[in-house]
Amino acid sequence: MNLLEMRGIVKNFPGVQALKSVDFDVRRGEVHALVGENGAGKSTLMKILSGVYQADAGEILFKGQPVIFRTPRQAQDAGIVTIYQELNQVPYLSVTENIFLGSEWTRNGLLDWPAMHQEARRLLAKLHLDIDPRAPLYTLGVGQQQMVEVAKALHHKADLIIMDEPTSALSVREIEDLFAIIAELKAEGVAIIYISHHLEETFAISDRTTVLRDGRKIATKPSSELTVEQLIRLMVGRDLAEQFPKEIAPRGKEMLRVEGLRRDGKLHNISFSVHAGEILGIAGLVGAGRTELVRAIFGADPIDGGRIFVEGKEVHIRSPRDAVQHGIALLTEDRKTQGLVLLMSVRNNVTLASLDRLTRGLFTNAAKEQELTDGFINSLAIKTPNQQQLVMNLSGGNQQKIVLAKWLATHPKVLIFDEPTRGIDVGAKVEIYRLMNELARRGVAILMVSSELPEVLGMSDRIMVIHEGRVAGFLDREGANQEGIMELATGMAAAEIEQSKLFEASIHE
Amino acid sequence: MSETTISASHERNKAAEALRHALAATGPLLVLLLLILILWILSPPFRSPTSLMLLALEAAAIGVVAAGQTFVILTGGIDLSVEAMVSFAGVTAAILIAGTNVAGGQIAFGIADWQAVLIAITAGLAIGMFQGLIITGMNMNPLIVTLGFRSMLLGVSLVWTRGAGINIQKGPFLNFVTSTVDLFGLRVPMPFIIVLGIYFLLWIVLKHTKFGRYTYAIGGNETATRLSGINVDRVKVFIYGISGLLAAIGGILVMARLQSGAYQNGTNMTLISVAAVVIGGTALSGGVGGIWGTLIGVFIIRIVEAGLVYMSVPSNAKEIVIGAIIVLAVALDVIRRGDVKWLRFKRSRT
Repeated sequence: MNLLEMRGIVKNFPGVQALKSVDFDVRRGEVHALVGENGAGKSTLMKILSGVYQADAGEILFKGQPVIFRTPRQAQDAGIVTIYQELNQVPYLSVTENIFLGSEWTRNGLLDWPAMHQEARRLLAKLHLDIDPRAPLYTLGVGQQQMVEVAKALHHKADLIIMDEPTSALSVREIEDLFAIIAELKAEGVAIIYISHHLEETFAISDRTTVLRDGRKIATKPSSELTVEQLIRLMVGRDLAEQFPKEIAPRGKEMLRVEGLRRDGKLHNISFSVHAGEILGIAGLVGAGRTELVRAIFGADPIDGGRIFVEGKEVHIRSPRDAVQHGIALLTEDRKTQGLVLLMSVRNNVTLASLDRLTRGLFTNAAKEQELTDGFINSLAIKTPNQQQLVMNLSGGNQQKIVLAKWLATHPKVLIFDEPTRGIDVGAKVEIYRLMNELARRGVAILMVSSELPEVLGMSDRIMVIHEGRVAGFLDREGANQEGIMELATGMAAAEIEQSKLFEASIHE
Repeated sequence: MSETTISASHERNKAAEALRHALAATGPLLVLLLLILILWILSPPFRSPTSLMLLALEAAAIGVVAAGQTFVILTGGIDLSVEAMVSFAGVTAAILIAGTNVAGGQIAFGIADWQAVLIAITAGLAIGMFQGLIITGMNMNPLIVTLGFRSMLLGVSLVWTRGAGINIQKGPFLNFVTSTVDLFGLRVPMPFIIVLGIYFLLWIVLKHTKFGRYTYAIGGNETATRLSGINVDRVKVFIYGISGLLAAIGGILVMARLQSGAYQNGTNMTLISVAAVVIGGTALSGGVGGIWGTLIGVFIIRIVEAGLVYMSVPSNAKEIVIGAIIVLAVALDVIRRGDVKWLRFKRSRT
């Protein structure tokens, strides 16, 4: 008997049928990967399973019993726990309080702290976590916070854990820890539905893989019988010529040079340069200071020392406004909270950073704005019904293109991408890469921060690795591989790396 | 489920969505027309053109104040100092015109009324911008800053007037401001025409200038706006400046009508202005809304008040109704955002 059977699930949203009669089943002790492009229906299916949405048709059998979950609480009580992509935790509460949130133990009507702390300690030990359960959650790293979520799932005696992009913020080491835990849970008979854009991960961890596309189930197969290429074909419904369509652009003059950049406690003496037509990948672990570095260059955070040169001339950047005026643009890692005004239209988002140029006297020039936006909708292939559509209604890939359009409208000399393809589907990723190629060809210098090593390796001309706020080294496109980057990123190689290599890199600069 | 029922439910959803949009766009106006209709039927005295014109006059000062409040709320802030600014501007102008701060003392040996008005509204602009500077420069909560300034401005008004109203004689400028204009046989009060002018101007600013676009952008996502290279702090300083300026203009309208500057001139205007903004469709969280809705909101509140008078409800009960309207307005804001589960329309994915 399967642990979970979902049969003929249908879900309609205004104007779109998100799920068209989907069947899905999970066995006890199985890791079942659920993959598909954005909008394929993965999240909707899981939200129906976890009680966030109700299906319009179809039935769910859990442990052989027909069930209908009207709230996430009901699903949780039945033994289905979801660990969301954005962690739903209270940072200022302790680990114990987070684990027990909503299901606190009491004694004579008062909270029973000793028992709860003890139980929390037991759960954490089970996950091989050496954490004080009294520590406030925000003092933990992202990886450990994620593990606390797993502990919470264990506390709820989950039979089925849904993990939605659990590794998007984790370092390689933390991912390994998570996988080890998943293996142990599996051995205890807990089933896991694993949603991820990282296909290497789903192959590494899953027993079976189900592919959704356009609200339909395309296939469910043992993962061992699939290859990455087959899987991508199933997901997008066509062959992808290449995952990383890198083209080498001619290297032009130096566009950006950073010398001795410091931000106390975060960044230490960082120096590098990037040339026209070049893509400089910036790799490093989460928390190494990559995002802090690009934010400092962009003027979003204050700096405590160092000099920045654009096209050989020193510039003083104290705010994003200064950076934009010197031709620097930053696509932030989080589109929704830092890149877009979700409640504004496509047009107003595209023109937001370049309105200075789109005015006639005192007034904004609607005709010019429309023309500019139309141009980008065509050249970047943005899929939107019209310019007045609110960007909150568009897919992740199209939203990212709108952020890109916003910056291209300012004619940047240096374009900084922080996690350019986070949370967007395979097809849209390739489109973003092609646009990077195109921009490099036109002589833009590109900085690309990325946690996805294949992306860094696939798209960079040179790679700068950051470790604990310092430049750990530079790697050339030809000489770079995952192991080399990880050695630098984890600081393992810092001591024993050949001096010559560092020397070469500095000469290269 | 068969294909036909699926498409039928699609159509229903689409229709519900369209209805929701239509209601969001015209809802306040429909409510206003409905209220007018009800009062028209129930109360014969209300049917005279005079009472309509009285309504317009009643709406004028609070209309100007609420316009400023709209800008602040669109950026996601709030200005609790407006009622104090109404009093302060009226008191300042009255003292300058009367040439004394003693109630019933020397009147009209001060400076010309237009000069006094200019000084008072300039002060309003400056104090508003100063609040904006504190809010942005020190990264302080606008609620607290403007609440503090409310207290200070009321205190200054009280000290300057020694607690009593300063009566004035209107000069040519204030006579013009309080005059009426004959339009198609209707005696339209000048303050109402001024209000319409101001609203038109502000509508242009919101829809067709960078400043207006940035106002919406800041309310929608301040971080993204800042990271788009926009000087968010400068925009916000001007936003609070505009609110101060418009509140001061509202204060002049009240003072001119009463021919008296007193610290009570602005009583209740903060709450009513916030309620009008929200009733008019602007989200308290910022980023969504517009200026004309606010004017409709003002009229809705004023007509309910007028209705109470025409229905012979004791004036002491007015406060209860106003309070209820404000709570209802905020409830409306929450419902519109779809945050109340059991009242939710079918919504698209978010």
